[in-house]
Amino acid sequence: MLERHKECIAMLLAGGQGSRLLVLTEKTAKPAVPFGGKYRIIDFPLSNCVNSEIDTVGILTQYQPLELNDYIGNGQPWGLNRNYGGAHVLPPYQTSGKNEWYKGTANAIYQNISFVEGYNPEHVIILSGDHIYKMDYNKMLKFHKDNGAECTIAVRDVPIEEASRFGIMNTNPDGSIYQFEEKPKKPKSNHASMGVYIFKWDVLKEYLIADEADKTSDNDFGKNVIPALLRDGRKLFAYTFAGYWKDVGTILSLWEANMDILDGNFALKDKHFKIYARNYAQPSSYIADCSEIKDSFVAEGCSVKGKVTHSIISTGCVIEENVEINDSVIMPGAVVKEGSVIKYSMIGEDVTVEQNCRIGDNPEYYDKSEWGISVIGKNETVEKNSTVKPNTVI
Amino acid sequence: MKMTGIIFSNIYDDTLGELTANRTVASLPFGGRYRQIDFTLSNMVNSGIRNIGVVTKYNYQSLMDHLGSCQEWDLNNKNGGLYILPPFASGRSEVYRGKLEALHTAMNFLKSQNTDYVVLSDTITICNIDYREIVKTHIDSGRDITVIATKPLNYTDDNLLVIECDKNFAATDIIINYPAKNGSLTGMGMFIMDREMLIKEVEEAVAQGYYHFEKDFLQRHFNMGNLSVNVYEFKGKVLRNKNIAAFFNNNLKLLDEETRNDIFKTDSPIYTKIRDEIPTYYGETSKVSECLIADGCSIKGEIEESILFRDIKIKKGAKIKKSIIMQGANIGENVYIENAILDKDVTVTDGTRLIGAPESPVIIKKGEIV
Repeated sequence: MLERHKECIAMLLAGGQGSRLLVLTEKTAKPAVPFGGKYRIIDFPLSNCVNSEIDTVGILTQYQPLELNDYIGNGQPWGLNRNYGGAHVLPPYQTSGKNEWYKGTANAIYQNISFVEGYNPEHVIILSGDHIYKMDYNKMLKFHKDNGAECTIAVRDVPIEEASRFGIMNTNPDGSIYQFEEKPKKPKSNHASMGVYIFKWDVLKEYLIADEADKTSDNDFGKNVIPALLRDGRKLFAYTFAGYWKDVGTILSLWEANMDILDGNFALKDKHFKIYARNYAQPSSYIADCSEIKDSFVAEGCSVKGKVTHSIISTGCVIEENVEINDSVIMPGAVVKEGSVIKYSMIGEDVTVEQNCRIGDNPEYYDKSEWGISVIGKNETVEKNSTVKPNTVI
Repeated sequence: MKMTGIIFSNIYDDTLGELTANRTVASLPFGGRYRQIDFTLSNMVNSGIRNIGVVTKYNYQSLMDHLGSCQEWDLNNKNGGLYILPPFASGRSEVYRGKLEALHTAMNFLKSQNTDYVVLSDTITICNIDYREIVKTHIDSGRDITVIATKPLNYTDDNLLVIECDKNFAATDIIINYPAKNGSLTGMGMFIMDREMLIKEVEEAVAQGYYHFEKDFLQRHFNMGNLSVNVYEFKGKVLRNKNIAAFFNNNLKLLDEETRNDIFKTDSPIYTKIRDEIPTYYGETSKVSECLIADGCSIKGEIEESILFRDIKIKKGAKIKKSIIMQGANIGENVYIENAILDKDVTVTDGTRLIGAPESPVIIKKGEIV
């Protein structure tokens, strides 16, 4: 009898708190943070899976999971509502004699070995929920299979002078990895790990079990599992990805990634590689007579009466008369009332900015050490006539 | 008070000319990102109606594409859902001439329901209405049928159904295809009836060769004194797209904030098919005033008092005034468009001028290059 199985399933690590995103992740898991007007960060790896014909995704959640669970639902917005496979949210759970949180990235997969086994896959792709990129994982899988690799790590080439900030894969001419260095002082190569791994499942399973047995391990892929494979002389390959990729782990990088869409560094529009998102029934946006919108994105369900320059206005925002917004990201459902000025800021979901506020400022008037993106956290209200200085977080 | 919904997807096809040459009235795009049936369906779903039959006649490919699995309207479940009822759905039926015969097509569906009441609606009426309170007044009135009506826009145009009633909302006069008098109301193409009574009346009327619901059933029985008619006056905004001029002007009426807020309510949203377009990009050279703009557009020209559907490209130097541009249009450089309806996927080449009049807008057919 033919055994039912999947060639490759994905495990998406979405449990991160993302504490460097400050107020934006106080009540929200990092993968659920809004991005690009109508998306959330997790839409990118999920859409990548679907566009790569990977139809089974285990989503490992831990921190503030309710919003994420709700958002993913049955996976239908991404076409991941399948009879066999599809999207599955996997929070930590209790088993007889055991009751623990996910201790690390490797432990999270370890605790879900039986979920993976249910699909009896040959390969498993490990993804993280905090990167913005469009990638066809199928090409990487083909590379992995063609090389007969036991583990393939996606890398991108960074400028060598920045290489010491990343996990660097040192490779032989054939692309096989002989060394992994976390933030090396003197980097030997510029292949930075993207945190995307494809493993042969039987190999990964063996190493996860061994890693779990090692009480000194941090149960982390980068720190423990990959080095263990290298020590044992396993076949590891680096797969170079040349497209846009951004870790949006900090306020500045999240803002920059949003600006990259505006500046054409990251093209969202592609009929054959769509980014899917859960949509809420919003009408078209109303753009008033007194508005002025230049070099900006406006999502649906908005009402814009003010001046918007080089900014992203997300779904369901209200921008009133005489408002000025530049170089900012206004997240879904925010209301900016008359006369307020917002510059170089990120305004969280459902925030209300009352009349005549001033939030953030252009960098040129400030000392480099003082200036930064200002952030207003989800559901906050900024009182009338207040001033929020650059680099301030509320 | 369980209700079943019946939607007539083809009634009024012939009054909308080229716009319905290859689609049903139900699937005619409206309001930037919707099809007309989205309003009818969403109203029913938001009123707790879980079983809906859509009676079709011809040209229903685009409608079926649009509805798909109906999951956007939450109608893809085991307990209830949406049923497409094509002609010949039951043995004795044929391509219908009017709503009575259309209902006859839906007979098997209606008989299979375990609901008490049926809400009937056409798809040219754009509004946000809660049938739950109306069915209550229908039951309280004890009358045979409730006609949902509204104040007429003017007292000069013919209305399919003009209705007068006393202070207890019992109809006192029913007039067909005639201008409304001061104080009378016009039907919104929506009716509520007891399900079993509807089945009996439709079977009898069709057996006698009748097919026109308003004339042969409503007016005839009312005049004969064997049908008591309840009138419910709906006070919200109503846009009836009964011909091309009305369709054009009603689209533009959505630019009025009061009308828009009355039709698009956050607690009773209008659902539609999701296309996963990116947000709309406004370029350095864009100038947009008084417009409704959907997702996925790229705007580099000037637009005034217009409705833009999804995925439209407008190049530099193009000027658009008082127009309805449907999904997928490509507008070239230095184009001038005023009082026009561009159907889906139209390409307007550089420098072209298209100018119509408000009462007879220029219509460019689907997929054309001008």
